[in-house]
Amino acid sequence: MELEVRGLTKTFGPVTAVRDVSFRAPAGQVTGLLGPNGSGKTTTLRVALGLVRPTAGTVLIGGVGYRDLARPRRVVGAMLEAAGFHPGRRARDHLRVLAAAAGVPDRRVDEVLDQVELTEAAGRRVRGFSLGMKQRLGLAAALLGDPQVLLLDEPANGLDPAGIAWLRGLLRGAADQGRTVVVASHVLSEVAQTADRVVIVSAGRLRFAGPLDELGGTGTALESAFLRLTAAQGAPA
Amino acid sequence: MIRSEFRKITSVRSPWLLLAAGPLIVVAGVTGLVQSGGNVHDPSVQSQALAHAGLAAIITLLFGIAAVAGEYRHGSITDTFLSCPDRRRVITAKVAVYGMAGAAAGLVSSAVAVGVTAAWWAAKGGSLQLSGRDTWLTLGGGLAACFAFAVIGVGLGALVRNLAGAVALALGWIALVEGIVGQLIGSGLARWLPFYASEALDRTDLGGGTRLLPQWGGGLVLLGYAVVFAGVAIVVTLGRDVT
Repeated sequence: MELEVRGLTKTFGPVTAVRDVSFRAPAGQVTGLLGPNGSGKTTTLRVALGLVRPTAGTVLIGGVGYRDLARPRRVVGAMLEAAGFHPGRRARDHLRVLAAAAGVPDRRVDEVLDQVELTEAAGRRVRGFSLGMKQRLGLAAALLGDPQVLLLDEPANGLDPAGIAWLRGLLRGAADQGRTVVVASHVLSEVAQTADRVVIVSAGRLRFAGPLDELGGTGTALESAFLRLTAAQGAPA
Repeated sequence: MIRSEFRKITSVRSPWLLLAAGPLIVVAGVTGLVQSGGNVHDPSVQSQALAHAGLAAIITLLFGIAAVAGEYRHGSITDTFLSCPDRRRVITAKVAVYGMAGAAAGLVSSAVAVGVTAAWWAAKGGSLQLSGRDTWLTLGGGLAACFAFAVIGVGLGALVRNLAGAVALALGWIALVEGIVGQLIGSGLARWLPFYASEALDRTDLGGGTRLLPQWGGGLVLLGYAVVFAGVAIVVTLGRDVT
């Protein structure tokens, strides 16, 4: 199931966050969405998820807009940075709330808790969680509906080295099963190890979209390509 | 969506702590009435005592506000809209669940009002008359007010989104603004304002000399406010970017 961004433009008042961006993220691959802070990565994901209305253009998932999906969490699993948790709610209850709204059976809650290795903390209130544990809980929410498409915003944030290696395996495994994986990040070395394709945006404009190999394939090659592509026009916002 | 909203309420402590304040206000209110010289042999004083059940409506208003503005505060609204991109359904589910919970809180407050009144009347040697039509109109009005204010709260929370701001606005309106507006526009119009209408509905009559609508009229006006707030909340929420 392919993710397709077509001519996407989004303005917030006088600020143009995304300007005529188009790219595809095919099934069975990990696509890295790269860009400096404020480049429009998160806005693009939010439009894809129906949270923000585009000024022009569309984002389609398997040919359908997110808001038109009958059971969206069963198609698309998402983790966004700003998405929060009620601090007084236990991890398992947080997922049970989502499961009820998503039309996913409750047994999936324990399955995903196991998958993100949070089973032992499932009965604890989120207020006591470390950043890494919150990331894992966010990933559990994304995986809840066993979706064909994963859209993740900075998923490695707050994970320790073992957690990052684990995440890499998770994303690789999902892509190998034929799922579409899109990861927004500015940790280039991480993306270089995980992604098959990269999309680079800067100041709201598309700078590159294609296989990672075209940019050299290694972390240092990706970094120099990234700096060259993003420095071409305008300072970072 | 209904089940999800229900799980939200039952899985955290804050709504229960908030709702528990309702019966406490009722206990304090009835006790205050008796202690300040309310005559337990006067049937109208008995009605006044039972009318304290309606005070819990202030609590259900805050409860409704927290249902939506609390989600914006914690950022969990993003997950809610990811699960259900049809925001109309989200707000409708919240209105249904929080309205019902508000009514349940009103029922508890009514029971507490009856219990505390009975206790004081027994202690002071009065005879409690609960069989009268008046009693049930008073308690039923209080319950209806608790329902309506929970719904108004959901609407207000969706409009303002900032939890502290919405709470301040609601309490400021109750404590200050509506009274001033009421004086400016005169009692003929003031009785159509939400808290004047609620006083007519739950028979608390805190407004003193103002002529209120009849109880059924207050109920209809308040229901109208609830419908308008819920409707505006849906319209505003539909078009808004969640960032």
